Amino acid sequence: MSQICPVIIGIGRTKFGEHYEREPEKLIEEAWLKASVSAGIERKNLEAAYISDYFLQITNKIGIEEGFISELTELHIPMEKTRSFSSALQNACNAIQAGKYDIVLVGGMEKMTDRWEKIRDDLMLLEDPWSYYAGCTPEANHELMLREYINKYDLHEENLNKVNVALGQISVKNHRHATKNEYAQFPKEIKLEQVLAERKKGKKPLGLLDFAPVSDGAAALVLASPQVARHHTSEFICVAGSASATDYITFPAREDRTSFIASRIAMQNALKKVNIQQNDIQIAELYDQSTLLEMIALEDLGFSKRGEAWRDIYDSCRDYKGFYMINGRELFVNTNGGLKADGNPLGATGGAQIFEVVKQLRGEAGNRQVKTSKELQFGCVSELEGFGTKAYVHILGRS
Amino acid sequence: MSSEPIERRVSYVGDRLKGSKCTLCGKEYFRLKDYCGTCGRKSFDKMADINFFYEKGKLEVCTFVKKPTNKFVKLGSYIYGLVSFHDGKVRVPSRLTDCVLDDSEINLSEFEGRDVVPRFRRRYTVEQSEVIPTISLTFTFADEYYPHQEYKIVKPKREYETPGIVGYGVYVSRFRIKEPMMERAVPFIDEDAITAAVEAGKLALIHAGIDQTSIGKVYVGSESNPYAVKPIASKVAQVLKLGEEDKTDRLQSVDAVDTEFACKAATSMFKDATALVHYPGTPTPHAMVIGTDNSQAAPRTEIGGELDFFVGYGSCAFIFGKRDVIAEIEGWHSLTSDTPDFWRRDLQPYPRHAGRFTGAPAYFKHITKAAQKLMEKLGLHTSDIDYFVSHQPNVNFPTRVARALGFKEDQYMQGLQVVNFGNTYSGASPIGLAAVLDKAKPEQRILLVSYGSGAGSDAYSLITTGQIKEKRKRQKFNVQHQAEDEHIEYVDYETYRKLKLGL
Repeated sequence: MSQICPVIIGIGRTKFGEHYEREPEKLIEEAWLKASVSAGIERKNLEAAYISDYFLQITNKIGIEEGFISELTELHIPMEKTRSFSSALQNACNAIQAGKYDIVLVGGMEKMTDRWEKIRDDLMLLEDPWSYYAGCTPEANHELMLREYINKYDLHEENLNKVNVALGQISVKNHRHATKNEYAQFPKEIKLEQVLAERKKGKKPLGLLDFAPVSDGAAALVLASPQVARHHTSEFICVAGSASATDYITFPAREDRTSFIASRIAMQNALKKVNIQQNDIQIAELYDQSTLLEMIALEDLGFSKRGEAWRDIYDSCRDYKGFYMINGRELFVNTNGGLKADGNPLGATGGAQIFEVVKQLRGEAGNRQVKTSKELQFGCVSELEGFGTKAYVHILGRS
Repeated sequence: MSSEPIERRVSYVGDRLKGSKCTLCGKEYFRLKDYCGTCGRKSFDKMADINFFYEKGKLEVCTFVKKPTNKFVKLGSYIYGLVSFHDGKVRVPSRLTDCVLDDSEINLSEFEGRDVVPRFRRRYTVEQSEVIPTISLTFTFADEYYPHQEYKIVKPKREYETPGIVGYGVYVSRFRIKEPMMERAVPFIDEDAITAAVEAGKLALIHAGIDQTSIGKVYVGSESNPYAVKPIASKVAQVLKLGEEDKTDRLQSVDAVDTEFACKAATSMFKDATALVHYPGTPTPHAMVIGTDNSQAAPRTEIGGELDFFVGYGSCAFIFGKRDVIAEIEGWHSLTSDTPDFWRRDLQPYPRHAGRFTGAPAYFKHITKAAQKLMEKLGLHTSDIDYFVSHQPNVNFPTRVARALGFKEDQYMQGLQVVNFGNTYSGASPIGLAAVLDKAKPEQRILLVSYGSGAGSDAYSLITTGQIKEKRKRQKFNVQHQAEDEHIEYVDYETYRKLKLGL
């Protein structure tokens, strides 16, 4: 690791779900307070803030988010707004690595239930307008990608059935994980039959229980340079690798529609920065906006062979032990319940993913703490913006 | 709220499915691109315009949309997928249209891999006061009601002294409602008088085999333009790219105008089109006349609802010129009187009707007189005429007027298409004429007499030429096909009203 690795010295989040009585500022306030307490810092220590949200301009008529955060915290430090939490984190890492700041707040929030009637239309802003004009929905591209996958790998009869079951098992598994997560939106077990029944009811390849919900929530973390971090914590959870890549907004125009090239590139670059192999990663928070996307992420990040992830999932879930068994190695995936069961308040989602990996690496995950055969060293978080239009990979490590 | 500049740009590209092709490496794009991503700056000025509107595509993958986003809700459930053109060089998002999905199981692999035809339709629902959004990212299967037909420009063989019809196209939707005496065409929910006009114009170009840039004027007659102010003709001109195109300013060198005179809005312009292509000063090789209507009628329970047993939906386009004529215009006679037999006041959704006074002093008087005057002028007897076609608001009126004029069944039955499609208002007698042209032999005489309430009639005598037969092969989507195709779908009255009102 040749670069300076920024250190996550504190982290906090809200419960995800519907926060009917609370403004988005109140949610970020809660997350920030928890993060600052866990970091042992105060507002005056902050030198900058990176804040993420997608839709506050639309859902809550909040335009210059920075101003709201400034007013809330009564701070006048530099602040920048991004869409995803991963993007905010990457910007914060860049600034610390450039030596510009030593302590930075990274926060994300979303208030999707405030515009319940129109939120699916708003989500189409993350797709290209031509797909919208042709009648695309937030779910449709996931289903088309699944159809492409089935056709490309010529999956039929028994294998097709296994793919469908494997995708259902992802949802079942993530819900089971969520039962141990006090912040999760849906901390309840579901059955495979329910997932399959929802697909049948909708006459669709993916059903209601294959998709992440609409959520409110916030997450925050305090990022520090290593020299400052040592005054606040002895347990260093650092951002060892941070990488991102982009792809065409127009899904139909992409060459390969069975994977996200941006995810593949981001992962390769992140691994290069840390100088490790994907096999060194023991825990991963994958962006399961749909069950399909968790499966695709296993392939894009190089854990499973392309066209084979469904087998790894299917075999691992027949007698699920809390992790996927891929090529003889254990991989813990979405131990917080994933987007499916933990919730998906877009701008905060990445924060919850980071939160989970930090907690696991610190050994502070309570009754959902993973038990690995080898000491937990590296975890990764992948987040997408849009349908694979942007991909971020963060590799977190203990050092 | 919609944005007018966005509508302009989206429809400019989306209605025609405009694309770009790199002439250096052959890479293709949907939408306009100034350079090729592979060839870089050397491809500036080397990108050719392409259009996928006339092409056959392939539905590669699809899914079922049960819960659309808000503006698409009126479409109900639909199939959405990716359509590729040119063996996968280009892929576009697309919605399957003309499909009422029932409760049965859906097997997506039955849809995938099939050839599709792009269709020009309304995009989604907007406020009544807003610009109507359109797009051609909608498709139907090529092996169903609407086949794919190549648009091929054919070098003309012969120039005629008398101008006439060089090509025509009829467009009637796939949906029908059954009535005791007839069947009526019902638009799909994303169709209207504008979309039908474009379809008919496109089919006429395919039939005529002429270069669309040679059209100097397009007239669109309608009484159901969804706009009170804004022509259908300008949409037709742009989608069909009529006249030379100025690509910098995105202008078509064509005159486009809408006309209105109840059901004779289109036939009235036949003579103008004929005269125009004959004018030597500014050469205008071709003129297009379209009659199109999503014929309006109040629901049966309301005043004016008696029309709701007869109205149809459809469009008919004719291209006039002097080269490779299939039917020469021998002569015409028009009559007009100020007879208030049928009208629709501004801001009223449905027309009103003068009951029994629409018969004798209106329809019958005008048609009979116009036919007699023209026959007199040309020195013709009923025996000189092979086919008689008149305006057809129902089955009874045109049959009675034909008999009264002395025509026999074999002279008027072929042109009586109201039994198949209902009263298509401005498209009614033109569709009758098209049905006759579909069957007529060379050197046959056709007498066409339209009628428009308000009131007036245009009588035309046409004589078919030897070229009528060879051009017929180019049009698979002829009147008989549209009347009898096995893929026609029947709907009940409730569905019909819903589809008729549109998005």
